[in-house]
Amino acid sequence: MMLTRFLILIAFTLSATSAIAQEDAPIDPQEGLATWAKIFEIVSHPRCANCHVPEDNRPRWSGAHYGLEEGEWRYHGMNVNGGEDRFGTMTLACNACHQQENSDVPHGPPGAHVWMLAPVEMVWWQKSSGEICEQIKDPERNGGRNLEEVAEHIDHDHLVHWGWDPGPGREPAPYSRKEAVEFFRSWAAAGAPCPDVAEATQDYLEDQALPETAE
Amino acid sequence: MQLTVNGQNYNVDVEDDMPLLWVLRDELGITGPKYGCGIAMCGACTVHIDGQAMRSCSVPAGQVDGSEVTTIEGLGSPEALHAVQAAWIEEQVAQCGYCQSGQIMAAAAFLSINPEPTDSDIDQAMSANLCRCGTYPRIRAAVKNAAAKLQGV
Amino acid sequence: MGVVKIARRTFLIGTVAVAGGVAFGYYQYRRPLPNPLLDSLGTGEAAITPYVKIDANGVTLITPRADKGQGAYSIQAYLLAEELDVDPLNVNLSVGVPSKAYYNSRVMDEAFPFAATDDSAVANTVRGAGDVVTRMMGMQMTGGSSTVPDGYEKLRHAGAVARETLKEAAAVKTGVRRSQLTTEDAHVILPDGTRLSYTELAPIAAQTEPVTDVVLREPGQWRYLGKEIQRTDIVGKSTGREKYGIDVSMDNMLFATVRANPGFGGDMRGYDASAAEAMRGVKKIVPVTSGVGVVADNTWRAFRAAEAIEIDWGPGPYPATSAEMWDVLDAHIDEAYQDHRNKNVGDVETPLARGQEAVEAEYRLPYLAHAPLEPMNATVLLEDDRIDIWTGTQIPRFIENHVATLTGLAHDNIHIHVQPMGGSFGHRLEDTYVLQAVEIAKAMKGTPIKMTWSREEDMTHDYPRPMALAKARGKVKPGAVEACDLDIVCQSIATSWFGRLKAAPPGPDQTISTGAWDQPYDIPNYRVTGYRAPEMVPVSSWRSVAASGNGFIHEGFLDELIHAAGADPLEERIRLCNHNVSRKVLEAVGDMCSWSGFSLGENRGRGVAFVISFGVPVAEVVDVTDTPEGIRIDRVYVACDVGRVLDPINLEAQVTGGVIFGLGHAMNCELTYEDYAPQQTNYHAYEAMRLYQAPEIEVRALENLDQIRGIGEPGVPPAAPALANAIFAATGKRIRELPLNKQIQFV
Repeated sequence: MMLTRFLILIAFTLSATSAIAQEDAPIDPQEGLATWAKIFEIVSHPRCANCHVPEDNRPRWSGAHYGLEEGEWRYHGMNVNGGEDRFGTMTLACNACHQQENSDVPHGPPGAHVWMLAPVEMVWWQKSSGEICEQIKDPERNGGRNLEEVAEHIDHDHLVHWGWDPGPGREPAPYSRKEAVEFFRSWAAAGAPCPDVAEATQDYLEDQALPETAE
Repeated sequence: MQLTVNGQNYNVDVEDDMPLLWVLRDELGITGPKYGCGIAMCGACTVHIDGQAMRSCSVPAGQVDGSEVTTIEGLGSPEALHAVQAAWIEEQVAQCGYCQSGQIMAAAAFLSINPEPTDSDIDQAMSANLCRCGTYPRIRAAVKNAAAKLQGV
Repeated sequence: MGVVKIARRTFLIGTVAVAGGVAFGYYQYRRPLPNPLLDSLGTGEAAITPYVKIDANGVTLITPRADKGQGAYSIQAYLLAEELDVDPLNVNLSVGVPSKAYYNSRVMDEAFPFAATDDSAVANTVRGAGDVVTRMMGMQMTGGSSTVPDGYEKLRHAGAVARETLKEAAAVKTGVRRSQLTTEDAHVILPDGTRLSYTELAPIAAQTEPVTDVVLREPGQWRYLGKEIQRTDIVGKSTGREKYGIDVSMDNMLFATVRANPGFGGDMRGYDASAAEAMRGVKKIVPVTSGVGVVADNTWRAFRAAEAIEIDWGPGPYPATSAEMWDVLDAHIDEAYQDHRNKNVGDVETPLARGQEAVEAEYRLPYLAHAPLEPMNATVLLEDDRIDIWTGTQIPRFIENHVATLTGLAHDNIHIHVQPMGGSFGHRLEDTYVLQAVEIAKAMKGTPIKMTWSREEDMTHDYPRPMALAKARGKVKPGAVEACDLDIVCQSIATSWFGRLKAAPPGPDQTISTGAWDQPYDIPNYRVTGYRAPEMVPVSSWRSVAASGNGFIHEGFLDELIHAAGADPLEERIRLCNHNVSRKVLEAVGDMCSWSGFSLGENRGRGVAFVISFGVPVAEVVDVTDTPEGIRIDRVYVACDVGRVLDPINLEAQVTGGVIFGLGHAMNCELTYEDYAPQQTNYHAYEAMRLYQAPEIEVRALENLDQIRGIGEPGVPPAAPALANAIFAATGKRIRELPLNKQIQFV
């Protein structure tokens, strides 16, 4: 029973990643997972997750410049709500305040060429590493992209860039845009392993004392 | 740079990062939009740029080159009131009145896109405009009043 | 203020001290005040009383009480117009020039050590003396919810005098007796229907002795007062046409700002403006008292340049941190610092010492900023022989005095042009920003300078409401409150604020305990003592002054006692109440919200509070729901009594606004100090209430008081305690410190 499930999981992982696996690259879940962990550091950081919010469409605020402690958060002030269009069109548009560049005044609004919430299917707010991993790989939920297209999105999208250049007083996302793109490509090359799946694999392998890699 | 304000063309020579609010107030003498906070937290500076409500304290001049700006003065006048202004008068919303230019500009833009707002819509559209005098209940009533006017009811 | 060593049975008016040491006699007090309108009259123009001017432009009503949103201009116009028979929406209105003639006889009411409910001869005599003091000082000031009490008789009388004088002028012109003439819509009407406009009668009226023997109309005859009237400024404020001080504009005007030491009274050790001087548009750097000003050709350029100046500030003369300031307060709740004990009924010590434990609590209130949306600003043009100042202010004549000292100009050459204010809440009872602007203007003679504080400068250079500490003890019997002993310590507003205006008045400062000692309850053993803390951060009046904080202390602790007694919060307050008018207000609010036997349901709570301030009893009930995301304020009911309602629409607006002001600050506002300066620099850190949090507010105004009162402030004090009491009812959590969000979340 467990063996069948284990094999199904391996098959699932392989089939999902085979489309983009490098021709000769060995599948190394461990290294891939380590790289994913870095990506997770980025995507779960407030500069990203604060706008990758669920269907309540409410951006979040967190960080010391809001007078909050580490780990504390609150909803964006003033009852601001992105609405279903994630841009606030029907009530108060994001760009009423958020302009094309960061304000350089302390506590002024940050900005980017387009300012809006991420699409609702790309919710990262308080999601686990495994959940985000599955979402990022899933064309139904990542804007119809393959993994290389996701990497390019990170490389070129202005609002994504903002995460590393958030304006005075805000802590940037970890690493850099360039590194993020590299991590992403390297993770994809490693088979784009996701932690929860691999964890189950690992646990099973330990239980069964089977070799760690498939022949 | 060139911009149109309330239908009139202006050429201004200012640095790109001067906020539109101060172009309007100090360079052009258009004082309807007000300075309250300078960080887009109060909305007293709200104008329409190409029809969209925006907080002019945070819009750099360089961004509005070639744009059409409408301020409270251009929305309507005592002789020719905009429906939102008429509603504001009927409901006697204003106390000190300093925030009301921004409130009215925000409401006018909001209603032009969402003509039959729910109470929740109004709470989401108007809560970013700060009123220190506490006129909020009458603002709600005036938004509904204006919506009815605009619907021709 | 101006009252020395008041005891219940004797009094001594310290007017000698207050009026600068000059003694005066009764005849000086009774001598008619000069009419300031006469100074600038042209031929054929008439000034009948200091409030009515008629010239080629038509009728101008003078409304000298300044408007900060409370509707002062409008109600003054309607008071005049009701008798004068003009339509206030169709005449000119002017705030006039500052003048002794416009003294405010009622602005000092709250300073006297007599409760508003005290109707004794002594109390009334001393209050009458308030007219003496304010008149002799020419105290033209707006504040203390006094515009209507001060103007109710005075302005209607002036309107009637002007009307009758115009009729007399018509009588002179036509030979028809005055008694056969009527008036309507700025015209005198002859028996045959001929209409003579006030404007055409002006030249004759100018030569006519004013008819002062007038009878005022009965309320039943009013066309405007008591009815739904349109505020005279509502159209301008709804179309962006209203101009505030910050909107003043004139040829050749330059723009300035100031950065001053946030540690008040601290010096400026040095500054380096080299970067600022090189910035685009900067004209001049001007050192001012405790700071530096920047003059530029655009306000924003002045702001930016000011930020670029490196300044070495000296320390402030008070503790650097809030924690240290609390220690100072704590140390001053001590007999050695007792300032006054205005309530001492029965014997609190005996029940407190007896039997089971007393109810004990400590209450804390933070410094609070005024933060009106229009930041402080003043436009100044200084020439060799005169100065003109355009600014929103409540204290024009005090500014005149200070400017005379600063410039050496004679009073006749100092012209203060009072502007409508984008809010104040008491901030514009100060003039530091005006004097800074004058200092800058001295360096730029002949050039108009508009000086504007940035929001950050305004937040950090306010004169806030004082922080306060109270220690409360009480005793209950089953079903009844038996003893209540309040010790309240804070700084003296009178010393700080009035010290800046003119001179610190000698004697006790009632504002330390007003709102707590003067409430109409007959608690058998009842003591309220005020202790004076030393000056720390300089303080000033904040909307409703002492009652705002002391109302929270008193009504919170009384609520605790009532709950400990197992009594009903509203019924016990009604039972304790010794003032008929106040009792009716309490009963009214109970009726409005169906208080008796009404259960709101699970996770919901209802709280009541009552405070009489500025003579106006106000009871508020707040309903809240304790949701998973925090407390939601659902509804507020307010009953109040102003004696007579002159403008029901504006009354509702002022009460609603006062409630939202009180609730909002109670929810999340405070000033905390590090390095002598407030950490809250803009509205992101001082949010108060937003529209989505505003509850439905129902207002009922009764008219049982025997005199007319104002309503600008009285809605504020009961709001915070009613909210805290509602939170207790909903959650069982008693919060004794403001702002409430230190301990509980709001939706």
